[in-house]
Amino acid sequence: MSADAKSSGTKKVPIYCNQCVCGPDLFKVEVKDGIALRIEPNLDIGEAHPAQGRVCVKAYGLVQKTYNPNRITRPMKRTNPNKGREHDPGFVPVSWDEALDIVAAKMNQIRAQGLTDEEGYPRLAASFGGGGTPTRYMGSFPAFLSAWGAVDLGFGSGQGAKCYHSEHLYGEFWHRAFTVTVDSPNCDYIINCGNNQEASAGVTGVWRQADARARGLKRVQVEPHLSVTGAVSAEWVPIRPKTDAAFLYAVMHRILHERDWRALCDLRFLAEDTNSPYLVGPNGYFLRDPAASKPLIWDLAEGKARPFDQFAPGASPALEGSFTVAGVEEGPDGERWQHDAAEAKPSFQMLRDHLAACTPEWAAKECDVPAASIRRVADEFVAHAKVGATIQIEGRTLPHRPVGIMLGKGVNNGWGGYQAVWARTLLACLVGALEVPGGTLGTKVRLNRPADNRKKSVKPGPDGFMHYPFNATTKADWQAKPHIRNAYKMLVPLSANSPWSAALGPAHLPWLFQKNPPKPWPKQTLPAMWICYRTNPAISSWNAPAVAQRIAEFPFTLAFAYTLDESNYMADVLLPEATDIESLQLSRIGGTGSGEQFWHHQGWAIRQPAVAPAGECMDMTDIATELARRTGILRRYNEAINRGSAATALKTADFDYSLDPELPHTAERIWDAVAKAASHQLSEGKEVHGIDWFREHGFMLREFPQLDWYLYPEMKQQGLRFELPYQERIKRHGAQLARRLHEIGIQWWNHQLEEYEALPGYKRFPDIWTDYAREVGRDPAEFPFWALTARSMQYAWGANVGLPLIHEVAQNVAGHDGIIINRTTARRLGIADGDPVVLASVSGETRGRATLREGIRPDTVLLVGQFDHWATPYAKDLGLGSLNSLTPLALSLTDATGSGADLFRVSVRKDSSGQAVARGGAR
Amino acid sequence: MTRYGMVVDLNRCVGCQTCTIACKHANDTPPGVQWRRVLDVEYGSFPDVERVFLVTGCQHCAEPPCVPVCPTGATRQRADGLVTMDYDTCIGCASCAVACPYQARTIVHEQTGYYGEQTVQEKKTSHADRYGVANKCTFCVERIDDAATLGLTPGVDPEVTPACSVSCIASAIRFGDFADPASEVSQLAKDNRTFQMHAELGTDPQIRYLYEIPGGTPGRMPDAADADDEAMSDPSNPLVGARQRFWDYRAAMNFFLGAMASGLAVVAWLANTAGAMGDSTLRSVNLIAAAVMAVGLFFVFLKIGRKARFIRVLMRPQSSWMTRETWCVGVFYPAVAAGTLAPHPALNLVAALAAAGFLACQARMVYASKGIAAWRTPLVPWMLAATGLFEGLGLLSVAVALGAAHGVALWALAPAGLVLAAVNAALWRRYRATAKAMGIGPLSRRDLAAISPALHVLGHAAPALLYALCLVAGSPALAGLAGAAAVAGGALWKFTLITRACHQQGFALPMMPQRGSGTRAAPERLAAG
Repeated sequence: MSADAKSSGTKKVPIYCNQCVCGPDLFKVEVKDGIALRIEPNLDIGEAHPAQGRVCVKAYGLVQKTYNPNRITRPMKRTNPNKGREHDPGFVPVSWDEALDIVAAKMNQIRAQGLTDEEGYPRLAASFGGGGTPTRYMGSFPAFLSAWGAVDLGFGSGQGAKCYHSEHLYGEFWHRAFTVTVDSPNCDYIINCGNNQEASAGVTGVWRQADARARGLKRVQVEPHLSVTGAVSAEWVPIRPKTDAAFLYAVMHRILHERDWRALCDLRFLAEDTNSPYLVGPNGYFLRDPAASKPLIWDLAEGKARPFDQFAPGASPALEGSFTVAGVEEGPDGERWQHDAAEAKPSFQMLRDHLAACTPEWAAKECDVPAASIRRVADEFVAHAKVGATIQIEGRTLPHRPVGIMLGKGVNNGWGGYQAVWARTLLACLVGALEVPGGTLGTKVRLNRPADNRKKSVKPGPDGFMHYPFNATTKADWQAKPHIRNAYKMLVPLSANSPWSAALGPAHLPWLFQKNPPKPWPKQTLPAMWICYRTNPAISSWNAPAVAQRIAEFPFTLAFAYTLDESNYMADVLLPEATDIESLQLSRIGGTGSGEQFWHHQGWAIRQPAVAPAGECMDMTDIATELARRTGILRRYNEAINRGSAATALKTADFDYSLDPELPHTAERIWDAVAKAASHQLSEGKEVHGIDWFREHGFMLREFPQLDWYLYPEMKQQGLRFELPYQERIKRHGAQLARRLHEIGIQWWNHQLEEYEALPGYKRFPDIWTDYAREVGRDPAEFPFWALTARSMQYAWGANVGLPLIHEVAQNVAGHDGIIINRTTARRLGIADGDPVVLASVSGETRGRATLREGIRPDTVLLVGQFDHWATPYAKDLGLGSLNSLTPLALSLTDATGSGADLFRVSVRKDSSGQAVARGGAR
Repeated sequence: MTRYGMVVDLNRCVGCQTCTIACKHANDTPPGVQWRRVLDVEYGSFPDVERVFLVTGCQHCAEPPCVPVCPTGATRQRADGLVTMDYDTCIGCASCAVACPYQARTIVHEQTGYYGEQTVQEKKTSHADRYGVANKCTFCVERIDDAATLGLTPGVDPEVTPACSVSCIASAIRFGDFADPASEVSQLAKDNRTFQMHAELGTDPQIRYLYEIPGGTPGRMPDAADADDEAMSDPSNPLVGARQRFWDYRAAMNFFLGAMASGLAVVAWLANTAGAMGDSTLRSVNLIAAAVMAVGLFFVFLKIGRKARFIRVLMRPQSSWMTRETWCVGVFYPAVAAGTLAPHPALNLVAALAAAGFLACQARMVYASKGIAAWRTPLVPWMLAATGLFEGLGLLSVAVALGAAHGVALWALAPAGLVLAAVNAALWRRYRATAKAMGIGPLSRRDLAAISPALHVLGHAAPALLYALCLVAGSPALAGLAGAAAVAGGALWKFTLITRACHQQGFALPMMPQRGSGTRAAPERLAAG
């Protein structure tokens, strides 16, 4: 053993890892003589962390990430004015002073011209990607953006197709569930349509699911290929892509039509906690009490209708039947229909009628899944739901419904996403398993406020439901012109208007409209400056090659660069940031968050320099401060930090750790103040710690009540109902939005407007992608295969494709070395394992080596992760393909929420040119 | 008493490779080396498929086949069951690597980094002592050895528990003392059904795999098709072992030249004893044998990782056939030298016995390589011995034909050649016929089948025919041709055996979780509708 290794004189530095949305988790870096040697889990946190302090494979890449010889460690400026993949940027090193002068001059020019341009678009745009994870690395840069003013954050990095888009929007609307998961510690049965939990739910998800399996949880995985999650599930059901909603509709049909739903469903939950009994009038809107405008419910005991809130618990509201009732319907734009004797049905009856034709036999044809399997899954689901059971949580008796439903990215994204998320949430409601122990839960809030507390985000709204901050669609208040280039306020009422909304709108539209604007549409100007941080849209977007071309058209790009990559290849200035284990920041941990991040604790953790930054790399907080100073917004920047834009408010009624707004402060000083404010807040003033304490201890926690995992208690407390099954508000917003758009001549969103249904109907969703070929003059028969992608735990969001260590271990997992093709299909095509293959779509091609497997449908091919790099050192030599090279940017593939699904129709052939490099050839 | 081991739960493992990379950090393994590797295995065919993640690595066997074969004592088994490596003693001969049926051992010769030149961190964590020698999982022995000092318990306290177990994000890898009935691993092994991989090889591996899923899913045996020839012929199947690369043509050269030389010495002594060869010829032939053997040994010397310490090969006579082979060399050369300088029948006998020993040691060395199914078959040592004698006879015949060995009676040479050709042919046929039953996989069998016609013609029929003709015609030239054919045949199959039909033992699950699609799915539960 060498003298330096494993001997004394080392220290272990606690740091958080937030390389995926399921963090932060905690690790330690072993350091000796100023060199980071090794990573290990931070077990100091013990059982306060649901996975007892473990971190996943990605965290172990951070040492190599730090010492990657391909890093950019000095500021660089571009010398070649021509931009594009074919133009070498000619980056040359410059001093920080010169680089910041160039950037600040550009910024000051923007400020002098005005923050928005002649079309009303912000002149400054910025993209971060990564599901929000970059904010855990960018120090106080959010405060810089806040101080700046108008910034267009709507240029996506793949959002929509790459996130759980319908889940985010509808989930947050229905149960404050930006992200949805299952209460696996208390769950016994999960229907999982394509959610790759074992790759994407973080260490907590993996740990909890493993515990649940070892306890006997049964999970049925419904997906076209056998993912790592499907592998460890009790059953894999190989469903045809994009037909999951049909599967779930048929499961509900089984419960509501073939079985005795009155005996199986949670009737109390349906009657008291949903809009199931609300009467629906002939025009499809709730029939309301004319005086109070409150939706009516039919009282079976008295044989008459009553406003929904005039029922005592235990009364007998009608869930089925048809009744003649007087009342009013409130349609779009204040239209009212007065009825003296209308035929009205409870929305639950409407639901049953709606699903009457969705038999398992119907779904079997659609999904290519045996009807018997669908029936069995439905029967198992209701049997495991234990309707009527209760559980004690922290002294309170709650319903216990140990069944859940998970949806994958491609399932709830794009066309069919609304249907799938509606069916999932409704299926939970049928057995009372929404937001109760054991059931389907939300874990995060992004569109409602406050974002750090789901419970507090529950506020009463109309008709006994929660308030939801829809973007207005009324004539008076509708945003008639895009305020940023993706126009989310204008086109997507559900996207709300929080700091996250820009990223949750139709974030691909700016890339699409920059080249092919629809008519009519305001002219889309280019941003005078685009900032690119810890994201690579030229790789991660749908139709990534086209996005690379759009980036090349930007007049000025500032990229914070780790290595050269496909996006910063077009940059004018590269600023090297001190990265994960080289810079300082505090972050919240615990509470509830993405994936299965619902803890019994919450608190704060540190990310700190374990080693000195490489070369001239600078802490992002110091960069932000310097930019603020040079652009004359230092005071506003400091005030934004004091308000909490960087982490948490430094001044409240209880304490004041605020910074002098007139002075520039070091990262050390800023995060020391944050540490004090955070610890003060966490301990209610009992334990106030500066940054040095966090450096030593790594994290600070307090308990987080399990009751706060569930929204149900708060809903009951406030007397609110879940807004299911009937979507009256969605229908109304859709009708109003249609009128608004048509009033200004926009017809190109009409297909999307059809999605605003009160009871979403199943369409033949796969046909949308199959038929797209005709739209561009091709024959669908040319593209007989589905190409899908799957999350790679080893790579996702890690900015680590340039790390051979990660590549080495990832290769142990099938699909990381090639394109997965069904073995029988491959034989038919004359393709052997390892053969170079080409996948082609109407919009592009990608190449890789064939990996032949049995765990994939014969009509489907799979590309794990996203590669096809051409500039990133090391990654560009891997010869790995990417679905993003095959997926066209298209309005017709965009759903009403502004999202597309991450899949496409392709052809598969052996690559006679053999351009894919040989297996292992990169190393 | 202590017996450290692991319990791996196949129901928990998600194949994430966190253990793999955590091990790489904790143990500073170089690029491409994974002491803890998790395989991504698929069984069945669409639509009846199962995917299993299989944790592999050194099993710290209770009966470790790697230990007795080690010629230096670098690999040992401790009282607590750990199979350890002493890098400063190992010469990098790779005997242990080919003896391991779990593909647990690696030898890296070049000190390189992931990006080519080592980074500052890679230099700092590089272990110069681990290059050119055998490496493998140590169960993080340094942590375990800290336990007593720190007053902690391996498997309970993470500080003294292997990194893979501590880092596992599914709690799939548990470590502890199987000798302690109260330990977690003992309890898990007691309360659940488990299997040991390749238990039939008698290694008593100390990783026990759990495969049951609670809730009425007891696990199942593989289908016949899961391990049939088609499945085991697929090089992309991670269960299938690839060709070993530890012993290459240089090792084969020793098995060829060394065996031929020792066979020559034995045959010459027999001929001399039978009166078919004069004393001076015997001495000449022994010098030829010594020269040929030296060339073979030189090739071996070229192959070992740590040449400067090759002499440590003598350290394990109690169990290592490589050590014994070297001792035989140590007797053979002085005996030949002394016999040349001061001729004496006793010295001839000593040289012949040493040569016979050398040949036997070689045969047993290959047979002791339990990691290679085509080598560990009981017929293999007999075949190597018979071939060695045949090659020796062949070389002698060539020497006679070339006039390098005078006065050798063809009446003895030719019948011996006929007998040895027949014996070799019979052994080869038997070996081929029983190969599948002996567990030799289809890939190795294919390599053996590929040479079989040529071997029968060149190595068996041709020498037999030529020796028969020689007997009739009394022509030394025919004997020489026969001998050359015998030598060529021996070379053909031994090079094939060592460098082609040398697939490592793959992996196998005698039981697996019952899950997957179609007929493999877990049974239905509570679906009383």
